[in-house]
Amino acid sequence: MSGLLEIKNLSVSFFTPEGEVQAVRDVSLSLKEGEVLALVGESGCGKSVLCKSIMKLLPSAAKIKAGNIFADGADITNYRERDMCRLRGKLFSMVFQDPMTSLNPAMSIGAQIGEAVRSHERRISGAALEARVMELIALAGLDRPEAYRKLYPHHLSGGMRQRCVLAVALAGNPRILFADEPTTALDVTIQAQILELFREIQRKLRTATIFVTHDLGVVARAADRVAVMYAGRIVEIGTAEEIFYDPRHPYTQALMRSLPAFSRGRDTLYTIPGMPPALLDPPGGDAFAWRNVNALDVDYEEAPPMFRVTDSHYAATWLLDERAESIRKQISGQGGCGHLDLENSGCQSGKKEAGKNRDVQTADAGKPQEVLLEVQHLSHMYSLGKGRAVRAVEDVSFQIRRGEIFGLVGESGSGKSTVARCIMNIYRPRKGRILYKGIDTCDPRQFRANRKMLQTCRQLIFQDSASSLNQRMKVWDIIAEPMKLGHRKPPRGSFRAEAEFQMHYVGLDPCYLDKYPSELSGGQRQRVAIARALTMEPEFLAADEPIASLDVSIQAQIVNLFKHLQQEHGFTFLFIAHDLAMVEFLCDRVGVMYKGRLVESGTVEEVFSHPGHPYTQALLSAIPIPDPGRERARKPAELREEEFSLEGESVEISPGHFVLRKKG
Amino acid sequence: MKKLMLFVFSIFLLSVIVFYVSRLAPGDPLISYFGDRVEKMSPEERQWAEEKLGLNDPIHVQYVRWLNNALHGDFGISYKYKMDAAEVIRSRLGNTLILGGTGFVLIFVFSLLLGILCAWREDGWMDRVICKLGTIISCIPEFWLALVLILVFALRLSWLPSSGAYSIGKNGDLWDRIVHLILPLSVVVISHLWYYAYMVRNRILEEVRADYVLLARSKGLNKRSVMFRHCLRNAIPSYLSIMAISVPHVLGGTYIVEMVFSYPGIGTLSYESARYKDYNLLMLLCILSGILVILCSMAAQLINERIDPRIRSGDVSADREVNKT
Repeated sequence: MSGLLEIKNLSVSFFTPEGEVQAVRDVSLSLKEGEVLALVGESGCGKSVLCKSIMKLLPSAAKIKAGNIFADGADITNYRERDMCRLRGKLFSMVFQDPMTSLNPAMSIGAQIGEAVRSHERRISGAALEARVMELIALAGLDRPEAYRKLYPHHLSGGMRQRCVLAVALAGNPRILFADEPTTALDVTIQAQILELFREIQRKLRTATIFVTHDLGVVARAADRVAVMYAGRIVEIGTAEEIFYDPRHPYTQALMRSLPAFSRGRDTLYTIPGMPPALLDPPGGDAFAWRNVNALDVDYEEAPPMFRVTDSHYAATWLLDERAESIRKQISGQGGCGHLDLENSGCQSGKKEAGKNRDVQTADAGKPQEVLLEVQHLSHMYSLGKGRAVRAVEDVSFQIRRGEIFGLVGESGSGKSTVARCIMNIYRPRKGRILYKGIDTCDPRQFRANRKMLQTCRQLIFQDSASSLNQRMKVWDIIAEPMKLGHRKPPRGSFRAEAEFQMHYVGLDPCYLDKYPSELSGGQRQRVAIARALTMEPEFLAADEPIASLDVSIQAQIVNLFKHLQQEHGFTFLFIAHDLAMVEFLCDRVGVMYKGRLVESGTVEEVFSHPGHPYTQALLSAIPIPDPGRERARKPAELREEEFSLEGESVEISPGHFVLRKKG
Repeated sequence: MKKLMLFVFSIFLLSVIVFYVSRLAPGDPLISYFGDRVEKMSPEERQWAEEKLGLNDPIHVQYVRWLNNALHGDFGISYKYKMDAAEVIRSRLGNTLILGGTGFVLIFVFSLLLGILCAWREDGWMDRVICKLGTIISCIPEFWLALVLILVFALRLSWLPSSGAYSIGKNGDLWDRIVHLILPLSVVVISHLWYYAYMVRNRILEEVRADYVLLARSKGLNKRSVMFRHCLRNAIPSYLSIMAISVPHVLGGTYIVEMVFSYPGIGTLSYESARYKDYNLLMLLCILSGILVILCSMAAQLINERIDPRIRSGDVSADREVNKT
C-alpha cells in the first residue's frame, strides 16, 4: 500500500557562490492518510527545506538533485510551476513559523482567506464565498467570524494571526498540511491552544500533517510518528512511543537528554557538544559522530544504513549492527543511553529539594541573605498619544537577594522588560521606588550621588544578540567599550588583555577577538554580550530573555554559563524568560507577571509545586511534557481569562510565597 | 492646522533667504531694466533710476515693502519685461507644464512597466540588460545627452527642430508643437526613467521575499496573482510617495532641458532672472517652486497615510516613551 505522500531518496541542494549546500541528503519517508508526522532536529538540519522542497516553494538556487516525490500516487518531482499551483492549497498547504509576517499586512483577513478559496473554485458565487470564509474562520477557532473578516492582521495578536494562517491553509481542504514550527514564536499558553486546535482539526478533517519543530514537548503532544533529522538526513524514524521510550540513534538520545526535565536535580543541563555541521561540506560517515563521545571508528568512515528495530522503527546508527552488540552494552552500562525516565528524575528532584532546603537552612542559620535589590510598588505606563496610555506595569513589588537568580516569567506584553528597564534606569517609573543596596535609584539626587557605582554594578543583557552588538565593531572593541566609556583603567594592563580575560571567563576562544559579530554564531554572540556586561565587574545582571532567540542546544549552554557565574562567582541575576522549564532549572526564586501585575512570587519549588494564582496554574499546565503517553492522557487546562483576578493584594500563603488575591 | 502653519512659515523663511541672497550676489539689476543704456548714465541718473525701482533703501526696508505688496497680491514688475512678474510667469507656465507634466507621466508609467518587467524576470537576461543600461544612462548628464540628441536628430538628420516650443508664425499648430516637444521630452524621460524603474523593481522584489508571499503561494495562487495582487499592491504606496517627492526633482531636470533647447518655459525664465538680477521675477519663481516642493512632500505623506491600513485606522500602538530619563 502506498501512502499519501511518498519520498524516495530525495536530495536537495542550494547552489550558492560559495559552493553546493547539501540541505537535504537522501531522505526517504512516507506519510499515510490522516497521520501526524513530526520532523525534529536542531535548526539547520534541513527540516524546513524538506517541507518546502515538497511544495516547491524554495528559491531558484535550490535544486532537487536526486530522488522522487510521489504525492497521491503521482510523481510530482518534475512538475512545473503551473502544475504545482493546482496542487498547492488543494493537495497540500503550509503554516509558517512567524504569524507576524506570514499574513499580508495590507489585506483584510477575509480577503486573504477568500482569495485562497477562490483560487480553487474559480466560479464560486459571492454569497457562497462569504459563507465559506466564515466557516473557515470559525473552524480556526475564532468566534464571531463576521467581525474578524474585516480586520487587518495588525489588529490581531500572534495567536489569532496563527489561527488565521491556519484558516488560509485549510481553505482548499488540503489532504496534507505542513506546519513549519507553527508554535515556536508564540507564548506557552497560546502555544497550548494552537496545538489543541491542530489536534481538533486533525480529528475533524483527517488531514495528514507534517509537523516541523525542535520542541520535543510539542512532538509528544501532537505526533503519531517522529522522524529525527540531522545534517540533512533522517537518522531515526518511528512511532512517538518508540522514539521517546526507546531512542536508538545517539543524536536522538542526546536530544532527549538535553531536555531540562531530564536534568532536573542536576547542577548543569546536558548539552550536546559542538554545533550541527555546515552543510556546505558535510562530514563523511555518520555526521553526528563528531559530536558523539561514544562514536565508533566506523562512524567517521562510512555512513550507517537504516537498521530495522521494529517494523515501524528504523535508525541509522552502527550501534544497531550485529557486530556492535558488545559496545552497545558497554555504553548502556555507562548510563549514557539517555533513555528519558521522568519518574526517575522526579526522584532525583526530590532529593535535590531536600539538599536545597538544607542549604537554605544553613544559610539562614548563619546570617539572613542580604537584599540587594528591592522593587516597591513599581508602576509605569506608555503614552499612545492623544491622552491615551497603556499601563505596562502596575504595583509590582519584589526583592532580589544577593547571589540568587530571580526569574521573571509571563507572556509577551506582560511588562517583564519594562520592569527590567526601570530597574536599569532606562525608564523612569511613574510610581514606586527601586532600592539598590538601599539607594533609591529613581530619585535623581541619590542617583547622581551614586552614579558611578550604579552604572558599573548593574549591567543589562539583551535578547537579540544580533542587534545588541554593533556590527561594525570588532569583538574586543565591543568588550572593552564599557571600560573606555567609564574611564576605567583595565586591571590587566591593556584593554585587549582585559577583553581576552573576559572571553576566557565566558568560555570563548580568544581567536574570536578580531572578528566581527556577524562572523559568530548566535550562541557565541550572546557570550560576547555577556562578556561585555561582565567587564565592569558588576554584582547584578539583568538578562532580558537572553536565550529566547537561540537554538535549544545553545540555550542549554548559556543557561549553564549563568548557573556557573552564579555559583562560582556569586553574581546576582534577574532572569527574564518565558520558557518555564528553563526557569525551573535555573532560578532560585520566581515571579509571575500577568498584564502588568505580579500575580505570584516565591521560591521555584513552592511556585511550581503549589501554584496559588489561577494564571500560574494555567501557565504550568500549558507546558508540554515530553512524554507521549502522559501528554496524550491529559487535557491542558483551558485559559479562562475572566478567572485571572488582578484585583486584591499580595497575600503570603506560605513563608516567602506571595499570591495576588482578593482579601477575605 | 499645524501643517498649514508650518507651510506658511517655510515659505516665509524661503522668501527671506532668497531675497537677501539674491541681493548679496554681485551684479547690477539696472542692466535688466535699462539694458545697455546703464553704461552711459550719469551718477544722478543712476540714483534716480534706483530710487524709481526702490533699490536704494536698506535691504530690510525693501523686504518689508515687498512682503506688504506681495500679501496684497502685487509681486512687482519684472525689470526685464517691464510688466507684472505674475503675468510674465503665466505666459510661460503652460509650456513648462506641458513638458514637465508629460515627462512626469511618461516616467511614471514607463518606470512602473520596466520595474514590473524586471522583477518578473528577476536575474534573467532582460532584467540584467535593463539594469546595466539604466546604470550607464543615469550617469550621463542631461545637458550632454540633450546636446548629443540635438547633434544627431536636429543637425545631422534634420528630422526634428533643435530649439523653441514652436516655429515662428505657427503658434496654434498642434503638430508643430508636438514635433518641438519630442527632443526635450526624450531627454527628460530618458535621464530620469532608470532610477525610478530600478526603485520599482527593488521594492517589488523586497515584497517577493516577504514571508506572506510564501503563504500566498502555498495556498495555490499563481505567479501573476502573487505578483500583482500582493507584491505590486504593497509596493505601490511607497512608490507613489516617492514619485510625489520626486516631482520637484523632475521639474529641476526640465529646467536644465529648457535651457539647452531654449524652450520658452519657467526654466529659461528662472535662469535669466537670476542672471540679470530681475529680483521680483526671481522671488516669485522661487516661491512658486518652494510651494510645489512642500505640497509634493505633503502629498507623499498623505498618500502613505491613506493607503497603509496600519496608519489609516489610526490605532498604531506607538510605543513612544513619554517619560524617558
